[in-house]
Amino acid sequence: MSARQLSVSIPTVARSIGRHALIAALAAVFVLFAWLAPAFLSGANLLSVLVNNFALLAIVAIAMTFAVSAGGIDLSVGTAIDFASFAFVSLVLAGQPIPIAALGGLVGGVVVGLFNAVLIAGIGISPFLATLGTLFVGRSVQQLLTNGGNPVYLPPTGVPDAFRFLGHGTIVGIPVPLVVAALVVAGAWLVLSRTRFGRVVLASGIQASVVRYSGIALRRYTAATYILVSGIAAIVGLILTSTVTVYIPSSGNAFLLNAIGATFIGTTLSPHGRPNIPGTVLGVLLLSIVANGLLLSGLNFYWQQVGTGLLIFSVLAIGFANRKAAART
Amino acid sequence: MLVDAPYYIPGSLAEPAPSNPQDPQASGPAYGQRVAALALRGGSLAVFIGVLVFFSVTAPFFLTIGNVGNVLGQSAIAGVLAIGLTIVVIGGGSNVVTGGIDLSLAANMGLSAAVYATLVQAGYGDPVAVIAALGTGLAIGAVNAAAITLAGIVPLLATLAVMNVVAGLELVLTNNTVVPASTELLLALSASGPFGIPVLAYVLLGFTLLVAAVVQFTPLGLRLYAVGEFPEAARAAGLPVKSFVAGSFLASGLCGGFAGILSVSFLSGSTTGAGDMLLPVVVTALLGSVFSRRLVPTITGTLLSTLFVGFLINGFQLLNISSTLVSGVQGLLILLVVSATTLLRRQENV
Repeated sequence: MSARQLSVSIPTVARSIGRHALIAALAAVFVLFAWLAPAFLSGANLLSVLVNNFALLAIVAIAMTFAVSAGGIDLSVGTAIDFASFAFVSLVLAGQPIPIAALGGLVGGVVVGLFNAVLIAGIGISPFLATLGTLFVGRSVQQLLTNGGNPVYLPPTGVPDAFRFLGHGTIVGIPVPLVVAALVVAGAWLVLSRTRFGRVVLASGIQASVVRYSGIALRRYTAATYILVSGIAAIVGLILTSTVTVYIPSSGNAFLLNAIGATFIGTTLSPHGRPNIPGTVLGVLLLSIVANGLLLSGLNFYWQQVGTGLLIFSVLAIGFANRKAAART
Repeated sequence: MLVDAPYYIPGSLAEPAPSNPQDPQASGPAYGQRVAALALRGGSLAVFIGVLVFFSVTAPFFLTIGNVGNVLGQSAIAGVLAIGLTIVVIGGGSNVVTGGIDLSLAANMGLSAAVYATLVQAGYGDPVAVIAALGTGLAIGAVNAAAITLAGIVPLLATLAVMNVVAGLELVLTNNTVVPASTELLLALSASGPFGIPVLAYVLLGFTLLVAAVVQFTPLGLRLYAVGEFPEAARAAGLPVKSFVAGSFLASGLCGGFAGILSVSFLSGSTTGAGDMLLPVVVTALLGSVFSRRLVPTITGTLLSTLFVGFLINGFQLLNISSTLVSGVQGLLILLVVSATTLLRRQENV
């Protein structure tokens, strides 16, 4: 009897550890860096973590979470960021008012999503391959548009203040990127958990055939998902351009791997290993804190990448090993 | 034992599609699909040959032995990497997200090259450096294999995390600088062989022949395909599925190490930026399946697709067309190929 109880309780304990590996890791790195680098805990530093590391990656990762929730992936989020950035910069240079230019930027990003939607929902290509193709075509298009990949600078003088607002402004004392990120997170959570669209997206990620047999026009939802993903990513393009006042071709891809990493780290939070908004946000927080903390702790810059990689690896290993154990019992 | 036999109709293509009123194309007869698959394969070969003919006519230098040999030599590194990835894709199944993929390959090549060059700088000879570079690749493969088969992490994520660690280790080792290296082996590899064709070209062809012989023509290779296409059936048939998957990652790790040695020889040292090779290699390996009769990944198909990309880059250079177009052409190609393949076997993907 006791042996039996033991055999039940050990996996249960292991599972609860696995479920909370992400939170444990977050707490651990937080305490570690507070101890290693006293400057880490200062308000100014924590704010800089949120604005410089967290906000933009969080928005991209939320976009990625939609794609992964729907059972796919979007490797072209960086392309959407770049296209939005390019359209935004070009319209500002052409003398358009900032709101129009920003809208144009969003449209530029959504074009990428439309292209993906045609490939994935229209033709039925697997999202990985379709968006990989989009990534390559997008890179080439940008090089053609910029004469072989030259950055497009905005003149330091003559740029309206409104342009800098997205990247440098504040709303009631809170930096705009952070406000936008919070709105995107809240909006995404509402859409995924409170709307019909969100339910269909989540269901299609778990069992697409059931959704289809329920008489739902799944293709429309899939198309809408990838358009939404690129739309969210386009917001990052606008903020990024406003922060650095330059468009650099193919620079958005820098977010890609971290966004995928954060989304899948977040899945360890869910008992069923599903992508979820809180998990993604915590995943982004973990990556941001580690990036900032390693920087402050004065560790060799190159070791920081190793450390980040090892940490992601461990969280994934614990999370997946636990899921495997759960599937077995 | 011929895996890519023309008369062999796989279940996925031959099986009559369930009648589905929403998809009229899906219920086409198996024969029609097979003809279409052959047409696609023939079509892509025709495109390949068409491109070669076009370049030969417009750029007179294109079809010289020297130029063809150069293209082969320049494709050697990407080719070895793409072949490694192909082994993983064969053993893991072609669903890229849950199936076989190795994102750590390019970083693996970078680290192996750095290990080789650093050891040579430290005064060690070729044998030590070669063993260390191949060992580095194998170790990275072993970490991938353990993460995927023991911890159960999805290959896409496991290799993504390993890629970050490996790329970081390369930076730590080289301080993000170029490490020059020159040894007898490296000189021999980068020299010209018979007929004025670079030795690297012979290395690529020899390596492809060797791997293709094992993967396409031995029971081992056939089992690898079985494991990748239908793991449950393979397990029921008594195949050690996990060992095969682990083995495929070990093999691709070795390929990474080997490509590292080749790159040290090609570039006379280890350089930074190996990670940029990743996505082109992924596209090359995935494109390769279009050069096979059943539209499955094969070693020879991957070689053809590597050479196709190599000839495109070379031809564009000879015609003075901006080589930036190459990534666009690669992207369009993969979209075209995959669209065609998808439309052919729609019932699987929907």
